[in-house]
Amino acid sequence: MKKKMMILGCMILMLFSAPIAWTEEGVTDTEIHIGQWGPQTGPAAAWGSVARGTGDYFKWINATGGIHGRKIVYHMFDDGYNPAKTKAGVKELQEGTGIFAWASGVGTSPGLAVKDYLMERKVPWVGPAAGSLHWVSPPEKHLFAVYPLYYNEARALVRYAVEDMGKKRVAVAYLNDEYGKNGLRGAIEELEAHGMEVVAQVPVEQTDSDVKPHVMQLRKSDADMVLLWTTVSHAVRIVGTAKAMNFTPQFMSTSTCSDFPLMNHISKGLWEGVICATFGELPDSDHPGMQQYKKEVFDQFASKDERWGMFYAAGIIFIEPMIEALKNAGPDLTREKFVTEMEKLTGFKGVGPEVNFKPFDPNDMYSRQGTRQTFLVQCLADGKAEKLTDWITLD
Amino acid sequence: MFFDRITAFFCLAAVFFILTANTINKYDCKNTFDNELFTHQKVLPMDMKRNYYEDVQLVTSPVVFFWLILLFVFLVVFPFIVGNYYVYVANYIAINIIVAAGLNLLVGYTGQISLGHAGFFAIGAYGTVILMAKAGLPFLLALPCSGLVAAGFGFLLGLPALRLEGPYLSIATLGFGLTITQVIGRITLFGGREGLHAPDIVIGSWIIETDRQFYFLLVFITVLLLLGMRNLIRTRVGRAFIAIRDADIAAQTMGVNIVFYKTLAFAVSAFYAGIAGGLYAFVLKFIEPEMFTLMMSIMFLAMVVVGGQGSLMGPIVGAGLLCWLDLKLRNILDIPFLGDWLETLSMSWFSITGVSNIQYVVFGSIMVAIMLFEPLGLYGVWLRTKRYWRTWPF
Repeated sequence: MKKKMMILGCMILMLFSAPIAWTEEGVTDTEIHIGQWGPQTGPAAAWGSVARGTGDYFKWINATGGIHGRKIVYHMFDDGYNPAKTKAGVKELQEGTGIFAWASGVGTSPGLAVKDYLMERKVPWVGPAAGSLHWVSPPEKHLFAVYPLYYNEARALVRYAVEDMGKKRVAVAYLNDEYGKNGLRGAIEELEAHGMEVVAQVPVEQTDSDVKPHVMQLRKSDADMVLLWTTVSHAVRIVGTAKAMNFTPQFMSTSTCSDFPLMNHISKGLWEGVICATFGELPDSDHPGMQQYKKEVFDQFASKDERWGMFYAAGIIFIEPMIEALKNAGPDLTREKFVTEMEKLTGFKGVGPEVNFKPFDPNDMYSRQGTRQTFLVQCLADGKAEKLTDWITLD
Repeated sequence: MFFDRITAFFCLAAVFFILTANTINKYDCKNTFDNELFTHQKVLPMDMKRNYYEDVQLVTSPVVFFWLILLFVFLVVFPFIVGNYYVYVANYIAINIIVAAGLNLLVGYTGQISLGHAGFFAIGAYGTVILMAKAGLPFLLALPCSGLVAAGFGFLLGLPALRLEGPYLSIATLGFGLTITQVIGRITLFGGREGLHAPDIVIGSWIIETDRQFYFLLVFITVLLLLGMRNLIRTRVGRAFIAIRDADIAAQTMGVNIVFYKTLAFAVSAFYAGIAGGLYAFVLKFIEPEMFTLMMSIMFLAMVVVGGQGSLMGPIVGAGLLCWLDLKLRNILDIPFLGDWLETLSMSWFSITGVSNIQYVVFGSIMVAIMLFEPLGLYGVWLRTKRYWRTWPF
């Protein structure tokens, strides 16, 4: 028994694939190698569908002829949201297989652990799946951010509340970290522009499980609009507790809480009426592009337990500009050409917000922050969404 | 390709040696290695120690000297014959070896338990980065300083440990490990949840930029710490730890100051974790509180147990094997036929999301199997192998 075990153990150790090198790293006559990490296990596994969405999107592109005769070879690995493993996996693929460019990749800390490594090697990286300012401050020549800034989302929501809904007293409940604070900052600045102030700023900690004190604070401020910049579970709990306390302002929330079928399900219907910003067309919208992806990407290539949800679609939204630039770069693909083509993207419109990049300027973060548009949707009774505005552009 | 052939050769050789030794020699030497495990004396005739200084000697025979030199040469040559990626993996493993060795002092030698070592690890990482970036200390000063800070916290955690045992102690240390990252996450000086970037290491005129340069620094520190650990175990302090593990009341009767030695064990163990954490910050070049999870503490403990508690070799082998498997096991999906089969198996039976997680299933199974068939951990396998080949062909 032990013998067998030993042999098995050693066989596993021995079976590691052999690295091969190309002239332009990651490109051959028939293949383009693109990598991505995404947690498929562990606490952040729910976000792993971003990486799977990208994978199915690439399968669809390959099935419809590839890019100038080349097929995309997609190397996705599971880092379990552990930055040490992200870095190990990225190095292994980059130095072993040779990756032309990196697509998306979930999480701020896994991304930050590999950012310097990729930038030193001048490996292009498009659309990190986290709305962090770290990607563009300072901007890097080979890093293109597609995820809209939370700061801008908050401004759009507050503007709508004040200008279109006539709300007078705005309160913010925010998660006490970079994500929450970016939302708070956006709200404060937009209100200042209207000569108003936030009537209550209520920080929520990641580990808080009882939100009654928070809701009490919000109710005491007599707010008629409450902006929720928290995790999904905190947002749902605050809405539920407020309802139980007979406190019914207009709730608004971020794109991270805009997966309405999911939100409606976990809040048992209380999410109805909440207004959210979004980072792209909703998966179930009647937008022709989204409908096409659902029919041709999801229905054909997704595994049987996959859900056609916001994160899965995000895996497509963040990568559309990359595919566009790859196509524009023509048959003689090099990294330099690819970066130039990325920079040339202006007014590019897929299923996400309009994408605009500029030639690299170390002092202009919008040369690498490609999106500053969002639109607002309201949750209806059955988890469906009603579009309240068209795309709003923020300067 | 080159490296894979080397791996294959070493693996085959190792399998051969281990199998021969273990199949033939399993039962007749059982008593011997029980003794060895608990007294740390080589009891074979040719190994008999006559005085204390023979016990602390590093080089006991020409054979040991030969292998020591070979190991040294290998460590120096290693980063030049393999790719940069493997150097990174070696660095990652070395750091885990330091933590596992420190934790082993607590778990294996003193008989305490800690599920909070990720906390000390975090203290070391944050301490080093902040002392360097904010206080401007040089790396070589900041690293031991933050190790001492971690040791201070280890001492504090050791105080409640005096009254707690078994499951109660594990809960107390677990609480510590979970709390410390929460505290760090809320202090603005520590960068909050946004994390901190590690500055470059400068030692004199030597600026460490590549993985290879860092490797040499790391190997030097690791060897130094392991030698320190080896000597500590053989001093009065080490004997006191072992006495406490075996029977703390008996130890106290014999004059061992339990309060002092238990807290000391926590402090030294935390010091090792702190040093390792300080080095870890420079492997990633970026730290944030979310990294230091409960899972990390559990993995440290698993390295000690799988490797073999109460031995110096154990944590080294355990850390090496578990880190390697953790990073590389997903490659089993690339094995022709078997990989596809495993993937389908895991997707249809073991997975909730419909995504393959077979590497974790295999990972867990390997750990369970080692514990089931070799309760002494990998160190037990090593002892048997060594014993067999020493008297070979008799």
